[in-house]
Amino acid sequence: MVIRIAAVGDVHLDEDVVGRFRPALEELPEHADALLLAGDLTRHGTESEARCVAQEFGGLGVPVVTVLGNHDHQCDQVPQVVRVLEDAGITVLEGNGVVLECAGGRLGIAGVKGFGGGFAGRCASDFGEPEMKSFVRTTTDSADRLAEALRSLDCDVLVALTHYSPVPDTLAGEPLEIYPFLGAYQLGQAIDSAPTALALHGHAHAGTERGTTPGGVRVRNVAHPVIKQAYSVFHLGDHLDQHQVSRIGSSGMERSWS
Amino acid sequence: MTVHRGAGPPDEYVEAEIQRMLTEDPDVAEQGITVVRRERALVLSGEVESPHRREEILRRVAERFPDVPITSDIGVIRTQAPTQVEELP
Repeated sequence: MVIRIAAVGDVHLDEDVVGRFRPALEELPEHADALLLAGDLTRHGTESEARCVAQEFGGLGVPVVTVLGNHDHQCDQVPQVVRVLEDAGITVLEGNGVVLECAGGRLGIAGVKGFGGGFAGRCASDFGEPEMKSFVRTTTDSADRLAEALRSLDCDVLVALTHYSPVPDTLAGEPLEIYPFLGAYQLGQAIDSAPTALALHGHAHAGTERGTTPGGVRVRNVAHPVIKQAYSVFHLGDHLDQHQVSRIGSSGMERSWS
Repeated sequence: MTVHRGAGPPDEYVEAEIQRMLTEDPDVAEQGITVVRRERALVLSGEVESPHRREEILRRVAERFPDVPITSDIGVIRTQAPTQVEELP
């Protein structure tokens, strides 16, 4: 049995974007059991922009699960944004998880926005000025909540959903100087502390799709500017013995090719 | 590629100010635009979610820095349904 996950991040909706994703989203239930959104749903995090997200990504016929991104915090309207999304049936995760009953098994998703700080050997430390300590503690708190949420889920396939990146691999293409603003190794450490099958993130618009954590968990950057399509689809299942790419035909899946 | 020519060479501080303006100006709010200073112009590249946003970026930059020659290579991200899936064992 296979669990099929569609994912995209960084769609930055406002009125000028409404309708652009919808034609592709109408096809989504044929190809995926759930849609995961990796944050930065809006431009400034306003209630009106959240209504655009609800209009575009609501009522799809499959569960939609999201985390928020840094843009969704810009106008300090997070409670209003969350309420609008939840009213549209979108599950918003922040330090918690959800288990979805899919035809191929139970899909567990744990999510946090995450934060920056950088990667092993080149990262910010919990030391010095209060501002720096606050910055680093925001990251470690977020990673701790992700680890706890991942380990709390009883499911067949476990997925971690963040906005910030847990690994530097998927940042390739971004300037090295800004890596500490794009992710933190503590998120990877949290992902590796649980039997995670796949980690999805966004935020790095100039990054690349694929990476792995030090513990071997597959990581995919699904930021819209990276995947350059309405969403990507991943099939997870024990029956697959090698990495493969398959074609989606008009009548569903065609034969796999590696 | 659209080239807007003006007088005087681009300055490193202008480059920094444009980069920050693209993020901090509420009418733009784009973090994914790369600003590169070249000999003859400042090159803006990256991708945005709508043609309107691309026009707004160019309008704001030209308005704020009328003397800086700007080359624009900003695309609008495609939103077609995927034709392939990735299978992960």
